[in-house]
Amino acid sequence: MTWLIWRQHAQVCVLGVLVGMFGIALLVLGTQAHDLFPGGPARCAGEAGINEACAASFRRLDEEYGYVENLLAGFYLVPVVIGAFLGAPLLARELEDGTWQLAWTQAVPRMRWLAAKLVALAGVTVTLTGMFTLVLTWFRQPFDAWEGRFQYDAFDLEGLVPVAYALFAFGIATAAGAILRRSLPAFGVAFGAFLATRMPVALLARPGYATPLTTMQPVPVGGAKDQAGHGTVPSFADWMIEHGYADATGQRLSWTEYDELEGAANQAGTNLNQFLHARGIQQFGVYHPADRFWTFQLIEAALFIAVAAVLIGVVVWRVRRRMI
Amino acid sequence: MTATEFALRTDGVGKRYRKGWALRDCTLALPAGGVIALVGPNGAGKTTLLRLVVGLLAPSTGTVEVLGHDVTASTPQTLSRVGFLAQDHPLYKRFTVAEMLRFGRACNLRFDQGLAERRLAQLGIPLDRRAGTLSGGQQAQVALALALAKRPDLLVLDEPVASLDPLARHEFLQVLMGAVAEGGVTVLFSSHVVHELERVCDHLVVLNNGRVTLTGDIDTLLAEHRLLVGPRTANDLDGAVAVVEAVHSDRHTTLLVRDGAIPAAPGWQARPVALEDLVLAYLRRPSEPSAVVTSGVPA
Repeated sequence: MTWLIWRQHAQVCVLGVLVGMFGIALLVLGTQAHDLFPGGPARCAGEAGINEACAASFRRLDEEYGYVENLLAGFYLVPVVIGAFLGAPLLARELEDGTWQLAWTQAVPRMRWLAAKLVALAGVTVTLTGMFTLVLTWFRQPFDAWEGRFQYDAFDLEGLVPVAYALFAFGIATAAGAILRRSLPAFGVAFGAFLATRMPVALLARPGYATPLTTMQPVPVGGAKDQAGHGTVPSFADWMIEHGYADATGQRLSWTEYDELEGAANQAGTNLNQFLHARGIQQFGVYHPADRFWTFQLIEAALFIAVAAVLIGVVVWRVRRRMI
Repeated sequence: MTATEFALRTDGVGKRYRKGWALRDCTLALPAGGVIALVGPNGAGKTTLLRLVVGLLAPSTGTVEVLGHDVTASTPQTLSRVGFLAQDHPLYKRFTVAEMLRFGRACNLRFDQGLAERRLAQLGIPLDRRAGTLSGGQQAQVALALALAKRPDLLVLDEPVASLDPLARHEFLQVLMGAVAEGGVTVLFSSHVVHELERVCDHLVVLNNGRVTLTGDIDTLLAEHRLLVGPRTANDLDGAVAVVEAVHSDRHTTLLVRDGAIPAAPGWQARPVALEDLVLAYLRRPSEPSAVVTSGVPA
């Protein structure tokens, strides 16, 4: 079986080489980017307010490597491509070429055949996407130190979720291949299903993985209008879901009400912050603290892997019942 | 007969797909040894029956027993006793012939590599060619060599020669019959061509519209059936059980009858029937055999 799987799925090598080349390029660029922070990017981010050298380093990081960061934002699809590429032909190619009749009439029972294929190909999926994610997570360290890990170009590319996305795509592609009996449409279904799932999950489900925290503080008299910055609570690294203004009793103001206050301040000719402060207006923020990153990663990874497991279960059931 | 003397036994086997029944009430007991032909028009359910026999499909009703074992409990041991050559003899197109043999070796308990290599060498099929670049006849031969190298007790072939040109067809059957002559293997193959069956087969199963309409040893079947030719009769005889088929010309009526129904009236002559005519007569019958009591022969 080992030889057969290797012989049938040798194209995996192409993926391996591509991931390897990508990894080497990122290692080279990443080493240069990391060298901007002799004391480590995390420490530097904490000192950016007071240490001018650190602030300059982060400016250089943005100027010189910002384009790589932007480019990588689209790479959350790479694990999906890997998973779908390995899952789609697993059954579909046998079914479209008629070779399932050859494979399952040798002395290897079909369930053993299926188990070997699933373990091998899911294993390759996890290995490739895991390596890919590891390099990417390392490369993004300086950016994460500055921007936090909850942004879409960080959370979806780091930690556990890329591997879970890959397994999700693998599961869908395998199941679609078993039902559609064609590799290419199965690949398309997996890719489309991920795109259709990802946005609702990131926008609607993800903020609800835990109850967000709320801060409420009076508008400072002399402070900047936008308080979100380094050294404050919630900090830059937290995931701000919603922010705005509330009156003295804590009742949230709509943006129309806030605009009226702003208009009144202008008419009165007073400083806006002083005006708001005098009326007891408070700023509120609803956010998830930065240390929830791994909890959120675990929850989202579990969601996607659970879907993959259900789909693989359907495939196993169909093959076991000899429906294909 | 004990169970193991049957190559194949099915009991009330049916298979339903989403669009309907492909096979119904199929009860067969086919002896081990010799060559069994499964005959029927396209869409009769031949492929479904063969896939049930080799365990690729599970029956919706009934049981399938191959070489004395329930086929759905496919273990490596039972799987290795049955060779299968699917329609259009699928191979891994990007594998070389040598790699196809390696596939056979890797996936079977017993695999006679030397036998397969000898057969392919005799046919002049190079081992280093990719399977997809071989001619249809050569691909069929590679698939057959693979199936035979398992040294199966039952070899099942689905329309093995349908897609081959006459020369390749001849060569294929020659190799197949050579393997049968070497002994030990029961061959079950399907065909929609009735021609030439008499020469190669011992046993016959006729399938039409998902039902078995005739099964038996070919010599016995030919001995049981007679063509009766006599003056034209207007009686409707098609429904009678002993009368398989009645054909009326302007002046004569020709009856195909079973079970030694002897002409009772003067003017009727009995003749032996050719296998092809016998099969065609059964294929022309309505699929649901009527239960009308035998009416005998018109006086």
